[in-house]
Amino acid sequence: MGLSFFSKHLPIQEGQPWALKTPADIISTVEFNHTGELLATGDKGGRVVIFQREPESKNAPHSQGEYDVYSTFQSHEPEFDYLKSLEIEEKINKIKWLPQQNAAHSLLSTNDKTIKLWKITERDKRPEGYNLKDEEGKLKDLSTVTSLQVPVLKPMDLMVEVSPRRIFANGHTYHINSISVNSDCETYMSADDLRINLWHLAITDRSFNIVDIKPANMEDLTEVITASEFHPHHCNLFVYSSSKGSLRLCDMRAAALCDKHSKLFEEPEDPSNRSFFSEIISSVSDVKFSHSGRYMLTRDYLTVKVWDLNMEARPIETYQVHDYLRSKLCSLYENDCIFDKFECAWNGSDSVIMTGAYNNFFRMFDRNTKRDVTLEASRESSKPRAVLKPRRVCVGGKRRRDDISVDSLDFTKKILHTAWHPAENIIAIAATNNLYIFQDKVNSDMH
Amino acid sequence: MVGGLKRKHSDLEEEEERWKWSPAGLQSYQQALLRISLDKVQRSLGPRAPSLRRHVLIHNTLQQLQAALRLAPAPALPPEPLFLGEEDFSLSATIGSILRELDTSMDGTEPPQNPMAPLSLQNEVPPQPDPVFLEALSSRYLGDSGLDDFFLDIDTSAVEKEPARAPPEPPHNLFCAPGSWEWNELDHIMEIILGS
Repeated sequence: MGLSFFSKHLPIQEGQPWALKTPADIISTVEFNHTGELLATGDKGGRVVIFQREPESKNAPHSQGEYDVYSTFQSHEPEFDYLKSLEIEEKINKIKWLPQQNAAHSLLSTNDKTIKLWKITERDKRPEGYNLKDEEGKLKDLSTVTSLQVPVLKPMDLMVEVSPRRIFANGHTYHINSISVNSDCETYMSADDLRINLWHLAITDRSFNIVDIKPANMEDLTEVITASEFHPHHCNLFVYSSSKGSLRLCDMRAAALCDKHSKLFEEPEDPSNRSFFSEIISSVSDVKFSHSGRYMLTRDYLTVKVWDLNMEARPIETYQVHDYLRSKLCSLYENDCIFDKFECAWNGSDSVIMTGAYNNFFRMFDRNTKRDVTLEASRESSKPRAVLKPRRVCVGGKRRRDDISVDSLDFTKKILHTAWHPAENIIAIAATNNLYIFQDKVNSDMH
Repeated sequence: MVGGLKRKHSDLEEEEERWKWSPAGLQSYQQALLRISLDKVQRSLGPRAPSLRRHVLIHNTLQQLQAALRLAPAPALPPEPLFLGEEDFSLSATIGSILRELDTSMDGTEPPQNPMAPLSLQNEVPPQPDPVFLEALSSRYLGDSGLDDFFLDIDTSAVEKEPARAPPEPPHNLFCAPGSWEWNELDHIMEIILGS
């Protein structure tokens, strides 16, 4: 896979905004399945939209690789907890695809409290010629049936059916921030602010608590769990991140309750940068294992970091996402942006990382060449086959044409959720209620 | 990164740096932050459970601010006549009780082990506020109220209860600029919040 994202003319192209209208349509999560053929988004209104990549067509080469809506369904509804007098939002916090076992696809979706397992099946044939039933489907009087007739399957328009298979409720007191399917393909975990539970995919009435950081006295609470993920290959290992900027790697073979981590990854604070906001900006908003399983990627407010599983003392790489905001932290604290939870993503070969920023900008960092780029997800740049131009944020002094000044950044346009195709240079960017899919030109031309 | 641009200091940053050299300026800055933080605690009202992550981060920031304000030398101001001298009152105690109350509102009952039998929960008495919390607040702020009511009470008491004594409010459009807030007014406001 070439690193063409960084060539002079950026080859990411073929934007395809999936424009939606109301606040309930604000996209809250984006996730490719394991082959990249399907892409699921969840929104604030509790809906899940699944996109499918169109197969290559000789007649219309331009449509190759484009994602079209495959199925839409309501995953979660708003609820009310009468015991605690609290509303439970329908917003989809995370979606995770299960590895495909048969013709059907399955995914887990979760809101703050309840995780659901959905099965997505296709039907393009229907049985016809039942001689036991009449045309309306009613059973005929059996005495009138005189011959044996075998029903036949007749082709029909493709129908995608989505059905709920399991509902995993009542496992969480606090808000679920992550779910992760284990590489054993039988279990998954769900993490809330203070606890992590392990579930069997087939069992809904019990889960095992594997991490509990809730202090006996809530007054002593100073740290919460912010994200969690299973190792991609070792089913006994998982990592969770905290609001104090640390990562804890746990081994489920060590004990049933993994309160004692196996490894603690933490970077000492730089005294020259210390401020009242040090802790808030070091709070980890996302953690992702590399596909190889050797590294972990974390996002905090201003940076993305790559950690080697074999080195706990500090990250091996740190990339500045928008360091120019360091002088604006007070304002960002006042308007609550400082609490935004940006996610991060690896490309298929673990050589490039991607994360979002403000003003509908997103950033990419090439780990080998150390080059980085700022791109913008906007309607103008996403005309079919338009090439994305790199953007620059200018800090003080000299301002080139097309540069945007820090003071004119729009903090309401934030890219929190991004996803990278597991094998190809195709990325999905959720910008408020628009989904942009960009594709590497070189890559698409090669196929 | 970003084409090797050198980072230029913005006005605000320069201001922050200047404050480092001026104790009075730094204190104003800290007080402004304190005010924003307290506002955030009060405004985190709503029918939904607040984000615990945000809450804990604000709480920790408030504790840092409190420590900084304690360490700082007292500014040369006339003694506050309305300062009631409750020395052992602390901001952390207030925030602690907020967190504890959050706990009772969110974690009052553990999730049932078997969701197939959730009916048994309906017979249970709703969680009562912690007794220590009851002591810390005068009864008129309590009742069976949850977190929301508690914050609503803070809101009205801090702003309206004693308007004659209350210090002039800094303009609301001030964005992190040092307001006319004085440093020991924090204790004063917190006393009002606590109803002592």
